Amino acid sequence: MNASAFSVFAENNQWSVLWPEISLGLIALILLLLDCFLPKDKRSFVPGLAVFLQGGLFLAVSVFFIESRGMDAFYAFNGLIYMSSFGSLLRAFFLLSSLLVSYLALVYFKKQPLPRTEFFHVMLIVTAAMMLLVQSAHFVMFFVALETVTIGFYVLVAYCRTSAFSLEAGLKYLILGALSSALLLFGIVLLYGVAGNPELPAFTQDSMSFLSLQTFIENNAHNALVQLGVLLVISGVAFKIGAVPFQIWIPDVYQGAPTPVTAFLAVASKTAGFMVLLNLIQGPFASMEYLLKPLLSAVAVVTILFGNMAALSQQNLKRLMGLSGVAHAGYLLVGVVAAFHVHWAPLAVLFYLITYLLGSFAVFGVMAHVAGEQDEAQELSDYQDLAQRNTTLASVLTMGLGSLAGIPPLVGFIGKVLLFIAAFRAELYTLLGVSILGVVISIYYYFGWMREAFFRSWHAPQEAPVAAIPLSGVHVFILGLLAMLTLLLGLFQNVLGWALF
Amino acid sequence: MTSSLNAYLVVAGLLFAIGFFGVLLRRNILVIYMCLELMLTASNLALVTFSRFNNTMDGSLFVFFIITVAAAEVAVGLAIIVALYRKRHSVMSDELTSLSH
Repeated sequence: MNASAFSVFAENNQWSVLWPEISLGLIALILLLLDCFLPKDKRSFVPGLAVFLQGGLFLAVSVFFIESRGMDAFYAFNGLIYMSSFGSLLRAFFLLSSLLVSYLALVYFKKQPLPRTEFFHVMLIVTAAMMLLVQSAHFVMFFVALETVTIGFYVLVAYCRTSAFSLEAGLKYLILGALSSALLLFGIVLLYGVAGNPELPAFTQDSMSFLSLQTFIENNAHNALVQLGVLLVISGVAFKIGAVPFQIWIPDVYQGAPTPVTAFLAVASKTAGFMVLLNLIQGPFASMEYLLKPLLSAVAVVTILFGNMAALSQQNLKRLMGLSGVAHAGYLLVGVVAAFHVHWAPLAVLFYLITYLLGSFAVFGVMAHVAGEQDEAQELSDYQDLAQRNTTLASVLTMGLGSLAGIPPLVGFIGKVLLFIAAFRAELYTLLGVSILGVVISIYYYFGWMREAFFRSWHAPQEAPVAAIPLSGVHVFILGLLAMLTLLLGLFQNVLGWALF
Repeated sequence: MTSSLNAYLVVAGLLFAIGFFGVLLRRNILVIYMCLELMLTASNLALVTFSRFNNTMDGSLFVFFIITVAAAEVAVGLAIIVALYRKRHSVMSDELTSLSH
């Protein structure tokens, strides 16, 4: 390679386009340095600083998204990164979820005597890696970003190292996560090997970039090695989103992980998985539709039914959230399948994920406040009389659960309607029917939880009144904001519609 | 030329299969962990083979990333296993059943 080629390479390495990710990395390092060098009694402001800096970065990224809306997408770093305004929106999404996770973590750490700074450090690194993951357009970038996310999550899930439950959840996530990563990696290797084979038509020298792979797979869609590689990569991604048959880790890990991490896994990790899946099936795997469409449809049906059926009998609420999250992954898979035919289906998927973020964080926020010192033991019966113990928490819980169940006029309803319209337009009538059946089943367990909070209050007169849960103004404001957003966005979707469509 | 490519790939595939079934069938977590590493190594072998026979360098470079990732994974994984062993005094996967209802 000569000097001029190197200069082309160097010009393409635009570090400046990665400013949100780099800032997140720097913030994470600053937090760690502060923790190392400050005396012990002065460290208490570090978590607050983390939240403040993330908030600032979130505003900056949102402004950047609004400014750069409709800009031309381009490849940076010689095709490693694909920059688009959709990617900027996802950056804002991940920052918002990490901000809300920080809030949950602040509540959680009041009840658990654990080191705090490292949690925020790892969380910020994971957020940055997710941003890179959804924007990657090359399998090396893709794999490294994915593993950064996954390894960060191993640490976060096992973060409560005084609790055997958290450690066990961490170990289970570790083994199954590493297994799925290895499957995904072998898929990448097979695709790389077969796409570089000079004896096949349209072979390519750059056989890990999504663009060259797309051309290659178009010409060799029925090659057995290509099929095997695509299946392995898709199964690795299916693990991240918790689709059947890769959902076995979900209940245990969601239950054992600290509540903020459970929320992070449920919302951000799932979003990253779906965005990656959409990138893949609209990019390199687009011509594998003949294989992927029936496969993903079958997976979606089983996922919806399994998630809802398994959630019906759950008494532990973190497992309930996990299994209902499996069902949500099933609805989202319907949107992914619809994306083969309907060009706006990916936006409907992202809209649904935004509604899922609002609803889930409202519910997890309430769970973080109601939880006792035993973080893994949050049972349905703990929510008896919640309406009397704290009316705000009970109302926020109702809004969040209502939104997750898809009750109009909350925003979750609009998200489901959009997905169902996409499925209808794509003529996926079976999937549509199964999804509606799933939604009907899900109302049973979501409303069972609400009933526990509101209507289970028969007491003998001599019994002592239940202890109220104190809640300061800041918490009321944040939780109330989430609840109001689920209502307001349900009534006026123009803001989100403007950002997405 | 092609026959030796197949030989390498068969070895890589065998290693991968041994690792995969090891993860599914073994009960000792440390052995499971070794099997996971075996799967990554199989991928590395296949990558280097493809890289050599296709005459592209990407594969050989990717191997370094995979080794780094595997090292990070081992560091975190062994830390979790040690911490869990201190709590539970066992590294057998069938005794890890506290999280189930």
